Order: sequence, then structure tokens, then C-alpha cells
Amino acid sequence: MTAVTTQTMRVRPETATKPAERVATRASKKHLGLKVGVIAGLTLGAVFAGLPVVWMLSTSLKANGEVFEIPPRLITESFSFDAYAKILGDPLQMRFFLNSYIVALSVTALTLFVAILAAFAFSRFSFRGKEAVNVVIVSVQAVPPITLVIPYFGLMVGLGLYNTYPGLILTHMVFTLPYAIIMLTAYFNTLPRELDESVKVDGGSGWTALWRVLVPISVPGLIAVGVYTFMISWNEYLFALTLTRTDDMRTVPIGIQLLMGQHSYEWNQMMAMSILGSIPVLVLFLLFQRRFIGGLTAGAVKS
Amino acid sequence: MGQPDLRTRDSSVGAPAADAAPPLLPGRGRRPVSKRLAPFGYLSPTLILILVLMVIPILMVISYSFQDNVIVERNPVFSGLANYANVLSDPDFLVAIKNTLIFITVSTAAHLVLGLTFAILLNTDVVGGVTKAVFRIIYILPWLFTIAVVAVIWRLMLDPYGVVNYILTSVHAVQKGVDWFGDPSTALWAVTFVNIWSGYPFFMISLLAGLQGISTDMYEAASVDGANAVQKFFGITIPQLRPVLISMAVLDLIWTSQQFALIWMTTGGGPLNATEMLSTYTYKQAFSSYEFATASASAVIVLLITLILAVFYVRQQRVR
Amino acid sequence: MARGSGKFLKQLLGVATAAALISTAACGGSGSGESSDSSGPVTLEFAQWWAPELPAGAFDQKIAEFEQQNPNIKVKLLSAPYASTKQQLVSGSASRTLPDVVGLDGAWVNDFAKQGALADLTSIMADAKYDPKELVSQVKVDSKTYMIPVVNFVYPLFVNKDLLTRAGVQSVPTDRSEFMEAAKKTTALGGNVTGWALPLDTAVPNGVQNDVLSWLWASGGSMLTPDGKPNMTSPEVQSTVDYVKSLNDAGVVAPGSLTMKEQDKVEKFTNGQVAMVIDSLAHVNLVKKNNPKLNFTIAPIPAQDGYTGKRGLPYASWGIGIADSSEHKAEAFKLVQFLMSQKTNGELATLANGFPGNNTAEPDLSESDPLFKTAFDMYKQSSPANQFVGLPKSEDLMRSFDENLQLALTNKQSVADALNKTQQSWSSII
Repeated sequence: MTAVTTQTMRVRPETATKPAERVATRASKKHLGLKVGVIAGLTLGAVFAGLPVVWMLSTSLKANGEVFEIPPRLITESFSFDAYAKILGDPLQMRFFLNSYIVALSVTALTLFVAILAAFAFSRFSFRGKEAVNVVIVSVQAVPPITLVIPYFGLMVGLGLYNTYPGLILTHMVFTLPYAIIMLTAYFNTLPRELDESVKVDGGSGWTALWRVLVPISVPGLIAVGVYTFMISWNEYLFALTLTRTDDMRTVPIGIQLLMGQHSYEWNQMMAMSILGSIPVLVLFLLFQRRFIGGLTAGAVKS
Repeated sequence: MGQPDLRTRDSSVGAPAADAAPPLLPGRGRRPVSKRLAPFGYLSPTLILILVLMVIPILMVISYSFQDNVIVERNPVFSGLANYANVLSDPDFLVAIKNTLIFITVSTAAHLVLGLTFAILLNTDVVGGVTKAVFRIIYILPWLFTIAVVAVIWRLMLDPYGVVNYILTSVHAVQKGVDWFGDPSTALWAVTFVNIWSGYPFFMISLLAGLQGISTDMYEAASVDGANAVQKFFGITIPQLRPVLISMAVLDLIWTSQQFALIWMTTGGGPLNATEMLSTYTYKQAFSSYEFATASASAVIVLLITLILAVFYVRQQRVR
Repeated sequence: MARGSGKFLKQLLGVATAAALISTAACGGSGSGESSDSSGPVTLEFAQWWAPELPAGAFDQKIAEFEQQNPNIKVKLLSAPYASTKQQLVSGSASRTLPDVVGLDGAWVNDFAKQGALADLTSIMADAKYDPKELVSQVKVDSKTYMIPVVNFVYPLFVNKDLLTRAGVQSVPTDRSEFMEAAKKTTALGGNVTGWALPLDTAVPNGVQNDVLSWLWASGGSMLTPDGKPNMTSPEVQSTVDYVKSLNDAGVVAPGSLTMKEQDKVEKFTNGQVAMVIDSLAHVNLVKKNNPKLNFTIAPIPAQDGYTGKRGLPYASWGIGIADSSEHKAEAFKLVQFLMSQKTNGELATLANGFPGNNTAEPDLSESDPLFKTAFDMYKQSSPANQFVGLPKSEDLMRSFDENLQLALTNKQSVADALNKTQQSWSSII
């Protein structure tokens, strides 16, 4: 009997592993193929996304005369950080950065606040004129800003907001609100109404439900909208130029355009300033990406 | 990131606030009124801001479009629909419409496809978290720069003797450097390409967040049913993302139609009107010909077209 | 998780709201408007794009000198990105918030004057008892002056001597045939080198002024009839455009013409990719700075073969005007006077590498490039030529000519048609 069992035992493992092995190698090959494909795709995408930025960096480290040379080179003999030193050492440019920060941060905070309220209204209530208001909010973005510049300018002068922080802040808010409201409404719509109800059962009001329950759960969505709002405000040029007059109110995009002279561009300084200007948003994104990519999972939705 | 109604099968999440106002007994005076006014209370900051700072200037623009001699001359004259007639019969305007339509549809479609592709790539389990984080940073780079700089750097790179041509000729993809912006047959595509580059991160981020919100149960259930990757993609991923996709598409179409600086600083609407858009047309009317009335008429036409899009979008939201 | 997010969120909102509140509080951050009453000091605002084009701090110094000489007047310099200047002026004019003194380009004057944005300088000069005999020129509309050119930038021909020598061209071309030959020979050198660059960007269409019509003016031609009507179908204009087309057909023009901007042209010349360009004299130092090894010289623009008359030399200016809405016109004119005074004007011209708007001022050529002396002599011997100065809607005029020219260059229409169409569209404006 032992002989038989050992025989069968010897036989079974061999035949048992073969199909398993085959399945395993097939799976791992597929897995490997997929991995290679994904990495190739990622790399190709990175080249597409990053080449101009690399070029910007390269230009900021060159001398102006080398920007147009043939054949183009990534690094040249005149490699230096002079352009950055010039920007960082210029109190005027630093003032532009300060103004941009003040405006962009204020716009983000205020837009989020106002948009949260509006999204709550759209998501949790039904009322007359709801669709009309919605259409208005979406379509105000449709008017070409260039035609709005002059009437808008007159309006701001009339309101006494010309060349002030609040003037610029309110203007940027008007541009960022439609998007913020649309996105936050959509986000609130995914949050179950039981959450509100539970607050109301405990005797709280809609306001409490909003701030105590809905908003904390929506942090990921708020952050995404916030980062985008910050960016729109930070990079906005036309109205920032039109609504400011003196150097102490102007922002980074204007500073960059000032380097585009009548006769020639200060290429390395322009690129240096752009790169310096992109760092705040990059930092914001770095800080918050985990929160709004990772933390988004149904943790909020499923509960 | 906002994603409307992924859980449409869950009726409790369903239509927004259809049951907001609980049935009230008559005679309970104050509650119903305050309840009815509550949404407007929440909306009031928005309404005030948009009314004062947007609707008023827009109404002014509309009024200009019906006049003549506006802004630059002191005695405006009512001229009815004359400006609209001028605009609609201007061959440059018609070219601008055609180019704008091509520009926005191709841009938006490419944004969607590219954004979705990158989002899927970044959502995969096949590579580690750190790798994904690094690539995420790289992929949002185009978003970070002001449009003037994007225009300028791409002009530099797409110069007939610039980097891109240098690389293409080195690998023999083309024989001679292509005049990307200066050749009427490639200019529109070059401009569209740059716009695609600078705008896709918006989609990518939103779709990435959307993807993460799709519960894996659905994918597992589909696997059990024997679905392959393609079927899962079209059967689960796309339908779940549909609300986000539509919102983004509408917003992007609207925003892209306003794109001015990119075109102005690369081609200025040329060569030979190949990249003339509604935005450049309007700008030239306003600040070159000083015909603000005509520019306003052109703006109102754009607004009307977009209103149709906006109404469609809002209706569609309601249906869900 | 909701709790944690809540706290974090509160902190975030707190910080951001604080920032918002601080900014609104500190929002006296309104820039200074015009100031006070007649007893206190007057503050003038001066919007220009010049300061960044001059050596760092140089313009501020000049302003400081002015303030010293006029203790009752303070000047606030407002810098404007050049590309947006005209648009900002139009917006400012529409809402009557123009700064007191404005930097202008001659091509804008007609429209701004008609819009009532600019003050009539003739009467202001009369009030100030200022004799304009020292002014090289004044830009007038309906015989009233609205702009005074402060510094003039001439546009001679820049020639890359090394490329010419390598191509076997012995001397700098002086007439059109010689130019064509030099261009062909340098293009034949190959390796991305071409003989000429023609920037025809339609966003800022001054290429037709600097690089096309300059050939017409160099030979004493005119694009207008003596009574100021368009003359685009005349034989001289036709021959000029035919010549430019022949250069294009000969393949001597750098690629990318149809959307090339003036700045690109300069860069390509600096990099030795183009042998000859018509360019602003102000670029001499720029070119030398960016490519010290470049061996180049300047010359008058070649005239038609056999032309012996006085050559036209195209130019552009930094002009100055006073806003009609200014409440301090008299003080504003004092600033204008200062900038036009013999000493200051000469100094400004030297700093800017241009020529003075004051005909008694001499730029200090002792320390500058010998090329400037050459240019200054050229300037004295030619007649300044820019027929777009003072015309209405000059940008529109330039653009319609540009668009028609592009169609002709790409063989989509004949030169004759292009000129006819230009003539038609100009006639509706002028």
C-alpha cells in the first residue's frame, strides 16, 4: 500500500504543478507585458508633458543670445543662475510675487466659501428659477473677456475698486465661481442625504449640516477645486493688467510680460520668472495631492 | 474631485433635493417662508457678485451691439441690427467660426482622450505609489504656466530652426524643418496641439479622482462574469465617468472658445486667416478698428451660441 | 476621518480667510491716484514702456532730476508691457482714467486724438509760451499737435560682413540688384543661412512698414498722393512689391515669414542665420551683447537702381502726449519740456541708442559704437520716412496690406490684385 501511495504521490505533484506553472508563467508574462506597456506609456507621456518645461529650464540657464542658436543645445557654456538671481534680487519682481500670493490666496478662500454655499443650495434644495440661475452661471463664462474689458473697467472705476486688491480679488472670483459651483454641486450630489438628515434629527439646521458634516467629508473635492482656483487666479493676465495701474499692485504674469520688450525679449529672465512662478502651485499640488487623490475613495461615499 | 451621481442605482442619492421642502401644515407662518428663502440665502453672495460684476457688464456689451459710435466716440447712435448684419456678412467672421469650431472640438476631444489615458495610466496597480506620484507631478506641469509663456516657449520650440524640427530631422521623420506656425496648412493644427498640451491636466486630474471613486466591487463582479479589460472599460468605467465627462466637455468647449492669448502670440490669426478665431476677430474689431459695436455684436453671437450649449447642459444635469 | 479632515479644513480655511482679511484691510493697497489741491505738490503719472528698454535705473534718474528742478511736482512712473500698451490706452481713455502723460507711438495718434483722449499740445505750448522750433517734428492731426517724438529710432540695413565675405560678395549692396545678388549668394552658402528676413506677422503688422514699404521710401517713393489719399497702385509701389516678391520667389527669405515677428528677425540676424535685415538702430548694442563675435555693419537701405535722390530712412519714435482728462496739464507739459530739453534729450537719446527729438541736441557718440556715428551721419543726410505716422487706423491699414501681400507672396493672387484690393480697403479708411 505504501508503495502504491508513494507512487501516486510522486505522480500527482508532477502533473499537478504543470498546469499551475503554466498558468502562473502565463499570468506573470502578461503582467510583465502590461507593466512594460504601462511604463512605456508613462514615459512617452512624460516626454510629451515635460519637454517644453525642460526647454524652459534650459532657456532660463542660458545667455539670451544662445536661445535661437542652431543646433539647439540643452546646456551651454554660459550656464548660470544669473537670471534667477536677477529676479529674486529685484524688489519690484518680488512685489509682483507678493501681490500674486495675496490675490490668489484670497480668491481661493473666498471662492471656496461662496461656492460651498451655492453648491449647497443647488444640491439640497429645489426652488423656482433654479435652472435659470444655473444657466446664467454657466453662460457668463461665454462672453469674450476682451469685449468685457472696457465696460468692466468703467464699472470698477465707478465702484472705486480700481487699482485695489479687492477689485482684483472680486474679479477673479467671478471667473472662478462658475467652475467651482458646478464641480462642488456635482460633488455634493454624491453625498447621501442621510448625512443631512441625521443632523436635522438631532435638531441642527441646514447650516450646521453643511459645515459640520458635508464640508469635512468634501475636503478632497474642495482641495481639487481650490488648487484649480488658485491657479486660474495666479496665471490671469488681462484683467490683472487692466485693473491695476501702479507697480505696487501688479502681479506675476504682468511681470513676465514686462520682460517682453518692444525690441527683444529677456528670454532667460522670462523663463526664470515663469519657473519661479510655477513653484507655488506645484508645492500646493504636492502638499495636497495625497488628500484628494488617495483619500477620495468611497470612504466618504460608502459611509 | 466632484463626480456627480456615481451611485445612481442608489435612490437615496438620486435627484438633488427633490424632497427638500417637507409637507407643512397651513397656518405655520414663518417656517415655510424661511424654508423657501433659505436656498436664496445661500445663493445670495453668488448672485450679488455675478449680477453686479458680470451681468451688468454683459448687458452693457449687449447694448453696445445695438448702437454705433460706442466708447471711442461720444455720441452713440442706435443702429438696430446693423452691426449684426455687418458681422454675419463679414467673410472673416465666417472663417473665424469655422476655425473656432474645429479648434474647440478637436481640443476638447483630445483633452478627454489624453486626460482619460493618463488618468488610467496613473491609476494602475502595475507600478508603485512613488512612481505614480512622480509621473503625476510631471503630467500636471503644462497646467502651471501662464498662457503667454506657453505661447512663447512653443513658438521657440516650433521655430523652423527650433528644437522640434531639429529632433524630427535628426530621426528622419521629416526631411526639412516644417514651418509649423507659418504654413497655412499646419498652423491651425500647431495651435490646436499647443492648446491640447496646455489644457489636458485639467481633465486628467478630474478623471483621476473620478476613477478612484468607482468602487472596485463593480470590476470584480464583471471579472466574475468573464468580462475582459475592454468590456470593463466601456461597460463600467465610461458609464460611471459619464457625468464628469460631460461636465468637463461642456466647460472645456466654452473655455477653449475664449482662448485668445495663445493664438495672438503664436500666429496672430494668420497666416492667411488659417488660425483666425472668434476671439482674435473680436479683438481686432475692438482694438484695431476701434469698432466696439461690431466687436460687441460678435461677442453677443458667441454668447447666444454658448447659451444653447449651457441650456442643454443644465437640462441634462436635471435628467440625472 | 471626517473629524481629522474637519480640523485640517478649519485650519486651512482659517489661514486663507486671514489672508483675505489682511489683504482687504491692507487694501489701502490702492495705488496712488492723482493727488491733492493746488497748494500741495502735484503728482503726475507717466505711463510708458521705455524704462525697461533703457539701462537699469537710468530713466528713474532722469525723473529724479526733473523732480529736483521742479520741487512742486512728483512723477510716478507707470510701466506697461509694450504689447498691451495700445489696448490699455484705449481702455484708459474710454473710462477717462488715463495717466497725465503717456508714451505714444506715432501710428496711434490719429485715432487717440479723434477719440478725444489726447490734449491739444499746440494750445498748451502756446499757454506755456514754448517755442517749438527745437522740435525735430510734431505729429499733428487737423493741424493740432498731439504727440512730440522724444527719441527717434532709425531703421537702416544691418549687414553681416562675415557672411558676405564668405559668399564672395565684395561690398555692401547699394541698390536693389546688388542686394538681390548678395542675398542669393549668401543663401547659397547653405546650412540654414538665408539672405534676408521678412517678418509679416499680422498681430503686429509693422513688418510691412519696416521691411516692405521701407524699400519704397528709400527710393523717394510715396504710398500716398500729395493730398494724403492712398496711392498703392502707383508704379513705384508696384515695383517695390514686385521686388519683394522676387526676393521671396528666389528663396532668399528666411522660412516662417508669414508669422515671423520683429523680435524673431533680430534674433536670427544675431545668430548669423540671416545675412541682411532692416532693423532698428537701437539694436546695435543688443546684437553686440548677445553675439560679440558677430562682425556686422549698417548701411542705407538700397534704393532702386539708378536712383540718386535723397534717400528715405524709415524710423519709429518714442513719442509723448498729454491726456485730455489730465487735471494737471501745465505741470505735465513741464515734464514734456524737460524731456525735450537739449541736455536731457541728448542724454536720453544716447541711453536709448536713438536720435534726439530735439534738433539742437547731439547724442554723445564718444563712448558708443562707431556704428552710431555712421548712422548719425546717415540720419543727417536722409529724410525721415514713415508715412503711417498720423494716419487713422494705421494698424488696420498695415494689416490689410499685409494680408493681401501674403496672398501675393503665396501666389494666391497677383501683385496687381493685391495692390488693388489694398487700395480699395485703404480708400474706405483714408
